[in-house]
Amino acid sequence: MSAGNTKLGTAVLYALMLLLLIIFIGPILWFVLLAIRPADTFFTMPPVLAFTPVWDSVDYAFGDPGNNLPQLFNSLVVAAGAVLLNLPFSLPAAYALSRFRIKGRKHLMMWYLGLLMAPPVAFLIPYSILASAVGLKGSYFSMILILQTLTIPFSIWLLRSFIDEVPVEIEEAARVDGATTPVIIWRIVLPLILPGVIVTSMFAFVFSWNNAAFPLVLSNRETATLPVGTLRYFGTAGVTWGFIAAAAVAAMIPPMLIFLVLDRYVVRGLTFGSVKG
Amino acid sequence: MQHTSTLPSRPRRLPSFVPWLLISPSIILLVALIAFPLLFALKNSFYFWNLQMSPTPMGFIGWGNYEMALSGSFFFGALYNTLLITVVGTAIEFILGLAIALLLVRKLSGMNVTRALLIMPTTIAPIVVGFLFRYMYDPGGGLIPWLLTSLGIPLPAEGLLGSGKTALWAVLFADIWQWTPFFAIVLYAGLLSIPADIIEAARIDRASPWAMLMKIKIPLIKKTAMIVIMLRFMQLFNTFDLVLVLTKGGPGASTRTLGYSLYQYGLVDFNIGLASAMTWLMVIVVNAIIGLLVFFAFKELD
Repeated sequence: MSAGNTKLGTAVLYALMLLLLIIFIGPILWFVLLAIRPADTFFTMPPVLAFTPVWDSVDYAFGDPGNNLPQLFNSLVVAAGAVLLNLPFSLPAAYALSRFRIKGRKHLMMWYLGLLMAPPVAFLIPYSILASAVGLKGSYFSMILILQTLTIPFSIWLLRSFIDEVPVEIEEAARVDGATTPVIIWRIVLPLILPGVIVTSMFAFVFSWNNAAFPLVLSNRETATLPVGTLRYFGTAGVTWGFIAAAAVAAMIPPMLIFLVLDRYVVRGLTFGSVKG
Repeated sequence: MQHTSTLPSRPRRLPSFVPWLLISPSIILLVALIAFPLLFALKNSFYFWNLQMSPTPMGFIGWGNYEMALSGSFFFGALYNTLLITVVGTAIEFILGLAIALLLVRKLSGMNVTRALLIMPTTIAPIVVGFLFRYMYDPGGGLIPWLLTSLGIPLPAEGLLGSGKTALWAVLFADIWQWTPFFAIVLYAGLLSIPADIIEAARIDRASPWAMLMKIKIPLIKKTAMIVIMLRFMQLFNTFDLVLVLTKGGPGASTRTLGYSLYQYGLVDFNIGLASAMTWLMVIVVNAIIGLLVFFAFKELD
């Protein structure tokens, strides 16, 4: 623990910090640069860092003709839809699991957790065939519905950790005053856990936004989400790296912003509420 | 992790069906969403069915698909690849993550910003990480081959992703890049929760930094460490998106993980019968692992 106490030690620590940022942030910036570099410098080594930005790729993806704009919209609809559909299921369950001593509560929590750890790909083929059979293939609803296998268990875990922190005495006082359960939940519990609901929803949004497996088999050309649409660029003759980078960078931005905003909850969100951070 | 403090100590006056009324919609929806595909796959696993030849199952063949999956390298080859990257990846990410966490707890100015930025790779969709690394691995002018060649490290002529010797490690490297920060950030939170007087007492006793780490810090963050290790272990075991973008399982079958195999057999080759049998084999393996994880790591969680 002495390294931090000397000038040399401090310098070493700062050098390590810089190295970390180069390793973990450098590649992201490198990809951002790809979206705005002239095509003849995509693969020039040693790397060309001084160039005049060209906006052709970004323009193609999101300006004119805006090839990826519909996909950006689709990603938003699917992720927001998955969050909204999840709340009426996860919120009451999380409340009940926090507040009542239910037989088998622990096993139920483990069951939800097990779902979060299940391989999504195991469900892809059946979902793909079944969705076609019932005429839902290609619909937003099919993706939003299947994403519930992730958003509901995740939200139940994270929400419960927030509800656990709201003192039960407040509810009991209201009950003594004669308030009924729905009134207590709506007027007292909900306002108290609202921050937790917002944080949970934002994380659930990121996980839905980043999920590529379900849209890969459930979307069609019109409803493809941004990562799936980006994947299509690989199918066309020659990989069009500028377009890929423009679309992929756009797919990166919302999760990054949300994580920066939720900085103090990041540990909690990533561990489903089991580590408070 | 302590969920006991706010639980009501007295029995509630509510009728006992109320909690279940609140919980059951989530259970019903989830069971429906999981049971249908699994039963569908179970039935198809006993049929010969190639979707390119017929829209419906083509004939009952008993255990034929399972025999095919378990013979040759269909299942066990993929299981080997999967276990290899899962065990090696989790270990490397944990060790690197812990090292970074130990750096982050130093109170230097700028450390908070570093920590907030460091988590960025973890926020990116794995499929997008695949795009990023496919660009950086490109044998015709990618950043990583150039760096390695500049350092005098010989590279396979087919490229890092094109050689059966390096492809699996190249896929794993992308995963390590993405998820080491996850370990770092969570373990950092664990280290912060160690009471300062314990560290102070150890310092007064002149404990060496190594002894402090092994005898005090790691035991005190054991629970947190187990949680991240288990979560990551399962995510790595299910790896699929990254392989899809980087190598499509190739060259040969050198990067074929269990997750990618299912995709390959079912949605590329359209052999639904074989893919369904593989699905059930994977479901059995995953359930066995989750059962063990829950038993060893999560039993004290609730």
